[in-house]
Amino acid sequence: MRVGVFIVFLLLLFPFQATFVYSLSPWEIRPDLCLITAFLVGLWAGRVRGVIVGVALGLVQDVFSASPLWLNLLTKAGAGFLAGTVAKNLSNMESPLAFFPIAALSFVWGMVFLLSSRSGTDAMLYSAYTLLLPQAVLDGLVGIGVHWIVARWIVPAPAHEGWARVSQGSVWR
Amino acid sequence: MNIGRFRPGRLLGAGVQRIIVVVFAIAGVAVVLFPAPAQRLFRTVGDPLADIVALPMAHMASVDRSIRDGWMHYVALQGVREQNRELWSRIQRLEGDLNQWRERVLASERLAALQEFQQHAPISTMAAKVIGRSASNWYQGVILNKGDEDGVRVEMGVMTPAGVVGHIVRTGRSTSVALLIIDPNMAVGGLVQRTRDEGVVQGTAQGHVRMKYLPPLSSVAPGDAVITSGLVGMFPRGVLIGYVSRVEESEGELFQVATIVPAVPVRQLEEMLIVLASQPSDVEMSLGVAGGAATSRKPAP
Repeated sequence: MRVGVFIVFLLLLFPFQATFVYSLSPWEIRPDLCLITAFLVGLWAGRVRGVIVGVALGLVQDVFSASPLWLNLLTKAGAGFLAGTVAKNLSNMESPLAFFPIAALSFVWGMVFLLSSRSGTDAMLYSAYTLLLPQAVLDGLVGIGVHWIVARWIVPAPAHEGWARVSQGSVWR
Repeated sequence: MNIGRFRPGRLLGAGVQRIIVVVFAIAGVAVVLFPAPAQRLFRTVGDPLADIVALPMAHMASVDRSIRDGWMHYVALQGVREQNRELWSRIQRLEGDLNQWRERVLASERLAALQEFQQHAPISTMAAKVIGRSASNWYQGVILNKGDEDGVRVEMGVMTPAGVVGHIVRTGRSTSVALLIIDPNMAVGGLVQRTRDEGVVQGTAQGHVRMKYLPPLSSVAPGDAVITSGLVGMFPRGVLIGYVSRVEESEGELFQVATIVPAVPVRQLEEMLIVLASQPSDVEMSLGVAGGAATSRKPAP
């Protein structure tokens, strides 16, 4: 049942991003909800599920995007994988701390997209200041919010093996 | 995250997890090395998924539009907004008509000596609705509700009666993605209507449009209309792209660059026309010579 709900959520996430989020985007900067979701799933549920969710969301984004094929799929799957790896080596992560890895990932993946486009150096520098940095900050902030909501109401106890050890007292607190 | 009873971590050991990651990495490299099979695989997997996702997206788009419209009607005065919208659409229509007439007049003037006049070939278009917009900030695109089944193909032009909007870059079974003219990856052959100088019209990272490779001696000036040159198959000759707002003439540069204000507010569009078949006018194509008129400039506001 909950898997079904989660799949429906994943299927509705991109349409939500492509319609409502576009209308609400401040200064025409849109948070990448798919990246944030892949990261948080990787963080809470481990690498494999992070990669699976990243592949699914990235594929949908690629289908409806003008970007080179597979780019979203690879970057989102990579986000899920990296998040799982980070979580495995962390004792815990408070919501505000989620800002840094999400912002960093958003920045790096943004660089990948910038380099894959045919923009010149000037355009790339301009995009770095006006898009890359603001989007990384916005992604990080939205990530904090989503992390807080999920941690507070949806998944109080992480199922990840790293944090599972924490709850059993086998890892430093 | 407890997202259900299915737990891959329990079913799959650490070794299997590593294998999955390695397979995924190899697949990533294969995608880069073998783009054609990768694209076929992408279509096979992506098309059904696109059909599923497009359904809620169309509904969400209409809900989003209703909310936005309701909100705007509430904030702004309803009557004024409606009137403004009507007037705006009428201006767009008239500008499109005006430009077509300008082109016809110019063509007939140049061909007076030959006593031959040939009208522009009709453009076969198909209306499409915008059901979504670019989900990322890196590409300026829109998602349309027409795809392969409707005859839409990659590289087809997208326009409104007022002018050029962009071109199709990806198609699914029932949807397609159009790259807007303000995107740096979009380029189309342009022609300054008054001076007949040709160049390449391309989007910029700032969301503007620029016309590059204009001859250094060109007399292009702010207010000049820029139309499609018809040299690339996406659009027939004579579709309005926009109006020159600024001309940069750097010393030592081989070409001039003009900044263009698009004729169409591409970010706000909700319906578009996909150019299914464009047949450039033989008359126009046979004329690479100058022959402009002072009418091909935007009237002062």
